[in-house]
Amino acid sequence: MARYLARRLVTLVGIVLVISVGAFYLIHLLPGDPATVILGTGDSPQNRARLYAQLGLNRPVIEQYFVWMKNVLHGNLGTSFISQVPVWTTIRAALPIDLEMIVLSQILSFAVAIPLAMSSAKRPDSWLDRFLGAFSFTMLSIPAFILVVVLVLVVAIKLAVPHTGVSSYVPLTQDWVTNLESMALPSVVLAIGSVTVYYRVLRSDLIATLQQEYITLARSKGISQRRILWRHALRPSSVALLGTAGVNIGGLLAGGFIVQYLLDIPGLGYTLVNSIGLSDYLVVQGIVLVVSIGVIVINFVFDFLITLVDPRIARE
Amino acid sequence: MSDETLLRVRGVTTVFDTPQGRLTAVDGVSFDLGAHESLGVVGESGSGKTVLSRTIMGLQPRRGVAVTGSVRLNGTEVVGASEEAKRELWGRQVAMVFQDPMTSLNPVVKVGKQIDEVLRVRLGMDRAAARARAIELLEMVGIPAAATRYGAYPHSLSGGMRQRVVVAIALAGSPQLLLADEPTTGLDVTIQAQILNLLDEVQGRLGMSMILVTHDLGVVATRTSRLVVMYAGRVVETGTTRDVFARHRMPYTRALLESSPKISNPSHTRLAAIPGRPPNLLDLPAGCAFAPRCAYATDRCRSERPVLEPADEPGHLFACFNPLPVAAGGPS
Repeated sequence: MARYLARRLVTLVGIVLVISVGAFYLIHLLPGDPATVILGTGDSPQNRARLYAQLGLNRPVIEQYFVWMKNVLHGNLGTSFISQVPVWTTIRAALPIDLEMIVLSQILSFAVAIPLAMSSAKRPDSWLDRFLGAFSFTMLSIPAFILVVVLVLVVAIKLAVPHTGVSSYVPLTQDWVTNLESMALPSVVLAIGSVTVYYRVLRSDLIATLQQEYITLARSKGISQRRILWRHALRPSSVALLGTAGVNIGGLLAGGFIVQYLLDIPGLGYTLVNSIGLSDYLVVQGIVLVVSIGVIVINFVFDFLITLVDPRIARE
Repeated sequence: MSDETLLRVRGVTTVFDTPQGRLTAVDGVSFDLGAHESLGVVGESGSGKTVLSRTIMGLQPRRGVAVTGSVRLNGTEVVGASEEAKRELWGRQVAMVFQDPMTSLNPVVKVGKQIDEVLRVRLGMDRAAARARAIELLEMVGIPAAATRYGAYPHSLSGGMRQRVVVAIALAGSPQLLLADEPTTGLDVTIQAQILNLLDEVQGRLGMSMILVTHDLGVVATRTSRLVVMYAGRVVETGTTRDVFARHRMPYTRALLESSPKISNPSHTRLAAIPGRPPNLLDLPAGCAFAPRCAYATDRCRSERPVLEPADEPGHLFACFNPLPVAAGGPS
């Protein structure tokens, strides 16, 4: 088990390094440059050159990467050219919002998807199963940015429920009621996407598991169907579910920006989109690095959960 | 035979609804089983013996299966009973030892917990008592270091050990009837005898009745008092084990006997195979299902289905128009 995890860890460190190089080069390929943002378009070439030298942007990109990486390894993500705020301060303010959004949406997703998948798998092809299958397929094909708009329309405008926005966002620690009010909508939007995927993955695995001989043996003990589903069928059916959840949650961390942007929630994704617009290289690099590490850590955690759920997996 | 009837099976028919049509896996099977008695159900693969054992227990799949006839266990009707009613019987009155211990144990639940469950859920024991009893059961079925093995996952146990765990699960609720469905098929030959002897021993020790389902007559010869021989879902011969072995009348029974390896045979004796293939249950011949493979079949066998009729010995029945002469059936 320890060896399995250690081997995974080494692979993951390698992946982070590759991503950091990729992110660094990609941002330099983007149109726009920080000097224009800072000095405006009318400034003299001399001033621009001086600013470039000051920011270290006149050096070869490969050199810039190593300087940046060296600082990163010393725990220093640098300070934004534009806002003069340390990158880490910006990330620390935004990250909890992403984490909260993900945790809320995932709790919601599992709480809905598991019972739904069970009621489908109990009687495959029943009217309930067919309905859920069709419904989940429909939801799966609606992109998040459309869901957001529809939900905002229904919840915020038609139902006149106070909704979210930068102005109304307050940290969880400050006022949890207001915080949850503003987080409810984005969490639900993200949850809808997750529920449909989890429901479909778990349903098919549960159906396969319920055919197993050990389920017949469990049945022959005279225990309730509820117990068979929760104690005997769920765990062996969760391997694909957990793998999917790991990938999906990573995707939410990296891809939640659409929802954040549309709802003005100042999470990492929102900050990232703004920073790209400002050519704020260090902030973009910092966020990409943190997000990629986050995605990898999440996958690592889920890989570990899988070995807990199915003790046979860590054996090889 | 004991006078006390524990299990009364009458005209049990199990029909599966398959995409290819209706498949009658068990067709009008009747027999009685007394308390403390052991009965062998023998037949080739596909003869309906496994389906019969599941039907007796009421453990057939919930959908796509129709069961008719009557199975009374201790006076309780199983056929047509609700799942809730059957749950009361399962574990406590009737339990099953499954065929393949590689697939019948939950791979992600510790073996001790799998035994525990019966004790806690069905017998209402608390955690500590259930654990102690589960370890006791593991010891009883011959698992060394039972307290350590309690926390083991099935994949870390050998096939023989797993089957012992399956037996322990079956025994946990102290059932009166144990159904052993080909309990040694998935095991090494050397382990097979150990498991059979274990079943034999616990059956005697706990005073249970047992139905031993097998394709191997060698398995039931010394371990059961009566036999039911099945072919294509029907009982074709039944009687005391002694009568079926020594005075069988049905050619199929003889073919089964001859295909079973015997220790007394000289080594490298070629086993007699039953010619032909088991019949397609979706498309059974009009007459005797065994007729196409039978050396004695006549036109009557091919057009008319023989019913069970009494032989000379009490309780010995066979379904054949051209029964073998008694003298011809003497086994070695």
